[in-house]
Amino acid sequence: MAKSDDGIRILQGLLVFGNVVIGMCGIALTAECIFFVSDPHGLYPLLEATENDDIYAAAWIGIFVGFALFALSILGIVGVIKSNRTLLLVYIILMLITYAFEMASCITAATHRDFLTPNLFLKQMLERYQKSEPDNNNDKWMTEGVTKTWDKLMLQNQCCGVRGPSDWQEYMSAFRITHNDADFPWPHNCCVMDARGSPVNLDGCKLGVPGYYNSNGCYDAISGPMNTHAWGVAWFGFAILCWTFCVLLGTMFYWSRTEY
Amino acid sequence: PAPPALLPYVPRVPPAALPGKLTATTFALERPCCVFDRHANASDAVWLVVAFANASAAFRNPPSRADVPLYEQLPTACSYMTLETAAATYACSAASPAVLRVGGDTVCGGQGGRDPCNGPLPSPGPYRVKFLVMGCHGPKAETRWSDPILLRRGTGGTAVPP
Repeated sequence: MAKSDDGIRILQGLLVFGNVVIGMCGIALTAECIFFVSDPHGLYPLLEATENDDIYAAAWIGIFVGFALFALSILGIVGVIKSNRTLLLVYIILMLITYAFEMASCITAATHRDFLTPNLFLKQMLERYQKSEPDNNNDKWMTEGVTKTWDKLMLQNQCCGVRGPSDWQEYMSAFRITHNDADFPWPHNCCVMDARGSPVNLDGCKLGVPGYYNSNGCYDAISGPMNTHAWGVAWFGFAILCWTFCVLLGTMFYWSRTEY
Repeated sequence: PAPPALLPYVPRVPPAALPGKLTATTFALERPCCVFDRHANASDAVWLVVAFANASAAFRNPPSRADVPLYEQLPTACSYMTLETAAATYACSAASPAVLRVGGDTVCGGQGGRDPCNGPLPSPGPYRVKFLVMGCHGPKAETRWSDPILLRRGTGGTAVPP
């Protein structure tokens, strides 16, 4: 009996430790997802305009799942220490539900990362940037979001277009309809600006003289934060799920060994 | 009057990698430096002749400044002359930007004025250009015709990248 008592004590200790880790990871997940949802790089309007902002939905789910994990881990610790079958049963059921939500969030984040290709953003930029005749209110909202985001992106990251300024020369665009090619081979935000926000040398910028225009594309500045976001939600979530799986198995085993 | 002297200089688009040297309605040319010094006085004017590549052989130098075909006549005459500049600007000693931009002036043209307009080109071309030195008695010197210059056509194409 002593040996099995020891065994049970060890199992209790392990389960308490496992739940402590789950609680801390839950808080970390909530914090990470709040960070992503707050959109520090201001890229959400671009996702919104693709009409597929699932990685944001995944982050929102992550916030609530993280909080749920924290609460459930406390419940689990109490249940294990008190060896209370009812508490442990409630814990197991609720944890399984939370597990399912987190699984959905991770898979969504992981698969939607493949959706964010350069061509997606190029097409969106050409169709919406500075579009002058929006079809309806929703279109107008998305167009304004895309235009403001691109203007800010090009100024802050010193970049132009998705792959480079030649995007504006190689394809037709909404921008080209309202801005003639001779004055605007590419938007003026692609020019190197002085302290007051006007181009240092507009003629040099129009010709593409090095030093007066931004020659890099903005794709890295867009995909970098978005990939970090998607991978962060997906892989941290998967890691938590693996650990939670083990703790759940242990808890189910412990539950089967306790008596009312 | 004597026919204008033929200079061996061939105008060309600058070889440097400038993304804006060819756009849908403009193109850049290397600035001819030290080319006209022996044939032009400082007061003569150097014009740029722009013609559709298939009409360049038929182009005849205008006998005087009044006969110069202007930008507005491009659709009918298949050629025009622009960028009227004093020959002194192309002298060896003049410090200047390395390229000329053809088609960069969007505010001129269409008002029926007599000033040479450097307006945007209406079609992708191809075009050929040459420089023509005009004195008070008519053309004094000309360069060779350039190779055909074809402008970008992407912005007239489909809106959607593949």
